Amino acid sequence: MNIAFTLPFAVIVIGAFLAVTRSNILHAVFGLAISLVGVAGAFLALGSPFTAVMEVLIYVGGIAVTMIFAVMLSSVSSPAERGGFLRKSLAALVAGLFLAGGSLIIVNADFGAGNHLSTDAWSIQAVGRDLLDRFNLAFESLSLVLLLAIVGAIVIVRREPVLPADQDDAPEEEAA
Amino acid sequence: MSQSITDYAPQTITELVGNPWLAMPMAAGIIMGALTVNVLMLVWAERKVSAWIQRRMGPTEVGPYGLLQTLADMLKLISKQLITPANIDKPLYHLAPLMAFAPVVGAVALFPVSRDYVLLDNDLGLLFVFALGGMAVIAIFMAGWGSNNKYALLGAVRSVAQNISYEIPLILSALSVVLVVNAMGGSTASGLNLSHIAWVQSHEHVWFILLQPLAAIIYFISALAETNRAPFDIPEAESELVAGFHTEYSGMRFSLFFFSEYTNMLIVSMLAVVLFLGGWDGPLLPGPAWFFLKSYALIFVMMWVRWTFPRLRFDQLMTFCWTVLIPLSILNLLATALAISVL
Repeated sequence: MNIAFTLPFAVIVIGAFLAVTRSNILHAVFGLAISLVGVAGAFLALGSPFTAVMEVLIYVGGIAVTMIFAVMLSSVSSPAERGGFLRKSLAALVAGLFLAGGSLIIVNADFGAGNHLSTDAWSIQAVGRDLLDRFNLAFESLSLVLLLAIVGAIVIVRREPVLPADQDDAPEEEAA
Repeated sequence: MSQSITDYAPQTITELVGNPWLAMPMAAGIIMGALTVNVLMLVWAERKVSAWIQRRMGPTEVGPYGLLQTLADMLKLISKQLITPANIDKPLYHLAPLMAFAPVVGAVALFPVSRDYVLLDNDLGLLFVFALGGMAVIAIFMAGWGSNNKYALLGAVRSVAQNISYEIPLILSALSVVLVVNAMGGSTASGLNLSHIAWVQSHEHVWFILLQPLAAIIYFISALAETNRAPFDIPEAESELVAGFHTEYSGMRFSLFFFSEYTNMLIVSMLAVVLFLGGWDGPLLPGPAWFFLKSYALIFVMMWVRWTFPRLRFDQLMTFCWTVLIPLSILNLLATALAISVL
């Protein structure tokens, strides 16, 4: 088997294994980053350098860094609390079912004959034209989803405004 | 200049040597040798420039004009003991210097030093440079987190926030240049190819700093922030954080961070030269001479800025990026797109 094809997939599997087994959340994020670099390598091996570079730029440089950022801003420097046995097995059950279902669909899917390697089909021009022309609606609705996510994040972190009535009550309690 | 604009293709080292397995180590050797000399000279130049601005002498003892001072410093760093602090996060701590070092070496191969030769000619060169630059952020965070030191962690936190914020105006300002390249240089060649960007400027006899002055200014400011240089050197503000994310690194491990930092300065300057200052284009002198003359002139400006302006506060830094640079760069991009579609 071609090393150019096996190496990226080995990196993906090793990274994914690190991402799910490490209890240290930052190690898990770095495992995910390794896995994503592997995905970029797989795109490169499949003859699509543009997708590979975007994978590194967006997923490694953007998403993984954002995750690190989220870890940084939350207070998880203490060891994470461990759930009970029931909770863990329920999570494992859900994840296992998801894996089984996903694998079943992928194995049974008929992808049709693959296109032969061509630099043109995945060139930056072709991708750009498809995104803004053929898949215009999907592309724009994705931006809407991202906007909603940002607004949602702001709503979640917003503190409740302190009502004047509460302020009146508080000093009395302290005094008493 | 009879060559038409679309069939320009510089020779790569693989084409020159004929064998990719021979060309790869050769290119790596060329890059490593050039970068080592570059870092040694830049550290010396930084000390001389700072001395000159502060009316001091700078290094004078080792070699003529103190030229060999950094060589002596390098030998000292190589022979120093590697101190490993207690209770570090071992894999992250040990991998971080390598993670910081490898991407910058890779990015250097993409730059068109002259009209006819380039180490690696890639249609996505600009994207590759940004993608590799994004990986540096992860290395900095690995170092800060792995060191088990609050100053290192604070430095890393600041650095990550600063880098991902200033990446946006950096890429947006480069993108408006790509639009201009694509409008001028025909649709067949990629506007992301660094050789092509330089070639179009030489062919059309216009440097893009004249067409995109605002983008050039935004790019330069963001580049200062991306390389963690003063007035944006908040991640390693020595009066607050000892040395920021590399506080706990000594000897060669520290040198690797230092190496990548000074190489990053060269990379952003070379990218600015390619995007805005015509690359190797210039009269009389050969291409590589112009290319490096322009790059080092920009580095001199970066040093000049560093020793002239005081450090910003962190909130000033972030507010400046999100309320001034990003809106301006988006407006500039829209205006460029509008101008291209009208003209």
